[in-house]
Amino acid sequence: MSKITNVSIDSIGSSMKKIGLKQEVSSIMILLVMFTITAILQDNFFEPNSVVRNINAFAPLILLAMGQAVVIISGGLDLSAGAALSLLTCVLTYVMKQDDPITGVYAIVIAFAVAVLIGVINGIGIGYLRIPPVILTFATSYIWLGAALFIRPTPGGETVKWFKVFYDTKSAEGVPAFVKAIGSVFQPALVLVLVGCLIWYVISKTKIGRYIYAVGSSNDSAYATGINTAKVQMMACIINSVFIFLAALFFVGQNQSGDARMGDPMTLKAIAAVVVGGIALTGGRGSVYLAIVGALILSFVNKIIFFADIPNAYQTLVSGLIIIVAIAGSVAYSYINKKAVGKESK
Amino acid sequence: MILEVKGVRKCFGGVVALSDGNLVCRLGKITGLLGANGSGKSTISKIITGVYNADCGEINYNGQCVKYKNPNEARLDGIAMVFQNLSLIPDLTVWQNIVLGAEQKKGIGLDNKSAKEISEKIINKLHPGLDINKKVNQLNPGEMQIVEIAKAISAEPRLLILDEPTAALEQAQVKNLFQYMRELANQGVSMIFTSHRMWEVMEICDDVIIFRNGENVASIDFAEEGKDADKIISYITGDAKKSECEIVDREISGEAVLSIKGMNYGKHLRDISFELKKGEVLGIGGLAGQGQNELLLALAGAYPDMKCEAEINGRKIKLTKPVNAVRNSILLVPGDRQLEGLFLKDSVYKNTIFPKLALKRQPLFIPSKKYRMECENIVKTLSIKTHTIDTPVGTLSGGNQQKVVVGKWLSFDINVLLLADPAKGVDIGAKRDLYQYIVDMVKEKNTSVILYASDCEELIQYCDRVLIMYEGQIVDSLEGCNINEDEIISASMCVKRTMEVG
Repeated sequence: MSKITNVSIDSIGSSMKKIGLKQEVSSIMILLVMFTITAILQDNFFEPNSVVRNINAFAPLILLAMGQAVVIISGGLDLSAGAALSLLTCVLTYVMKQDDPITGVYAIVIAFAVAVLIGVINGIGIGYLRIPPVILTFATSYIWLGAALFIRPTPGGETVKWFKVFYDTKSAEGVPAFVKAIGSVFQPALVLVLVGCLIWYVISKTKIGRYIYAVGSSNDSAYATGINTAKVQMMACIINSVFIFLAALFFVGQNQSGDARMGDPMTLKAIAAVVVGGIALTGGRGSVYLAIVGALILSFVNKIIFFADIPNAYQTLVSGLIIIVAIAGSVAYSYINKKAVGKESK
Repeated sequence: MILEVKGVRKCFGGVVALSDGNLVCRLGKITGLLGANGSGKSTISKIITGVYNADCGEINYNGQCVKYKNPNEARLDGIAMVFQNLSLIPDLTVWQNIVLGAEQKKGIGLDNKSAKEISEKIINKLHPGLDINKKVNQLNPGEMQIVEIAKAISAEPRLLILDEPTAALEQAQVKNLFQYMRELANQGVSMIFTSHRMWEVMEICDDVIIFRNGENVASIDFAEEGKDADKIISYITGDAKKSECEIVDREISGEAVLSIKGMNYGKHLRDISFELKKGEVLGIGGLAGQGQNELLLALAGAYPDMKCEAEINGRKIKLTKPVNAVRNSILLVPGDRQLEGLFLKDSVYKNTIFPKLALKRQPLFIPSKKYRMECENIVKTLSIKTHTIDTPVGTLSGGNQQKVVVGKWLSFDINVLLLADPAKGVDIGAKRDLYQYIVDMVKEKNTSVILYASDCEELIQYCDRVLIMYEGQIVDSLEGCNINEDEIISASMCVKRTMEVG
């Protein structure tokens, strides 16, 4: 008897250690810390209204970070994500006419096609033409920006009335009752994030999902094994575009207008979220879901700054410091862990 | 007969790697491929699998004439190859790597369960106890090699080519591999097996084909002609015309410059001890990848974890940091000049002054006029063929690049010069210049040199003493007239020991 219990305790111990070892844990721990601090600082943190507000504030960054994560895991980097987001909002509002509900459907179809096209162009450049991703997407970001400015030189435009469904179902007009019912339970922003997760969940179970990791980890070995690496890189770019498309739906629902420059600051934020979440910039390592964790950490940092009564002038500075401290903590954590494991194996 | 290769020829930029490659492989038999380094055995394997395209000649596989453009085409036809440089994805798990590129679909997702089962089955035979859920980057080189073999086997090939699969494996793992290879052979899989270890070839192969200088010189069917190691060795080395001992033994003053005792570094270097005398040219020989490069790097202080007792001129030193080595004037001319020895985009002049800037006390402003003069001198003495000294090094030919690497140490007092295969990929003229210069330096300044060369001739011609390495150990030391091709090769193959074992 005692033998059996010993064994089971040992196995529990080792599995605990395995959990502790995982990269995920350190970033999730940071998230919990940030979450707690925010909850303490913000008095009405758990009230429905502020929960809804927080979800709306966090969702776009989460979506962009997930898309960016797919590209980074495949060994690339997308500097054009923000510009692509702007372009999609401009396309959506360009096609829609306020009085004609059906134009909303056209807009969604056309914008989706544009999103796929953006992914294909980036993918051809990175995968088939072998242009370094940083350079290529830096260049294409200007193309997307130029196209957005062409169709919408100044912020504005109009949307169909039901388009608010992507932001706030209650105030949307002309939508079926059951959609409203769902919307009153789940925030649209939350639904968009869940759709994103579902998309990635399905893809991660397919060949492409595994090949994205293979190509990001070692392009040459993957090629030698007979994987079409260029195609895999293009698929990663297209998946990223789909996530950008989801974010664009949210923004247009929220603002009821398009803006050729609204996405610019989002690009680097999304990349930062991926890194903070613990996904290696070198590719091949980390889970896409970690991007959600990273995006939440960044968002909570913003909240903390806001509620901690830090003077305006220092807010940006402090947010940078908090991120550095958090990452340093997680690096130290994994270092200690590795040492412990090393000793054990000796 | 499953495979027949006839008269295949392959050149790499004027260098003939394979002049007349012929090879026959029978159904369910294991064919050994033997030969010294650069005899063309790897080249012919790669031509069969489509990594290289042959210049001429024909390959018959299953009675059809085939010509594969890439390894994938060959694999679809049932020819799998275990590569020496591994083709694994470090961030995927063992089983994911084994089925990579051949995943089976199940509904919308992948059939992971059967993939794991297949992997488990193969791994259990090759290396029981290896966790297939581990990531490849957590494995040691031997385990990686096993995964690589498992990956090739999982494709269920009809012809399996194993290019030195045992180099990274331990004895027990080799035994498991051989058992599995026999099993596969009984199922009708043909195999081509390359190895440098004689006993392995003797044990596993049904017949052997021996390559020398890019052509096959013999094929021996063990069933008919019996296993005779001496005969095989004589085929590998060629009809040994015992070259006259021309080298006059030079007087080497007995004083030791560098003495190494008990050098150990992981699996690469095991218990190495030797002494280097003043003005001596000490050769390091042996087959490729037996720890020679590691030995030189260890002497240059590249490995912090390395354990050894080192004395230079009777003084104890620690060789765990490059700085210590350089301060004691132990200077390394690295093997891969493009990667380790040169700033390719910078000019000849800049490359020659970098060591000075790094190591010597400098005046505030670099005395460029003086240094340029010195650089011109180096170019002249080494007869480096360059337009001006401001030409980027990357545009020079390989031999001239190598001269720059050597030349940049010219203005230093060298205690020990380490040369890691300095003449690799260097044309004959430049090679002679380079060695002539080194020989002169040894004579004039009484410098000591440790030379690792993959080419026996260089060792024979220039070395006073040659140490032979085998699997990280020094197995033999040759001196004077004993330094000839025959002795070096038979010592490299460890024939003496294998005879005792077998």
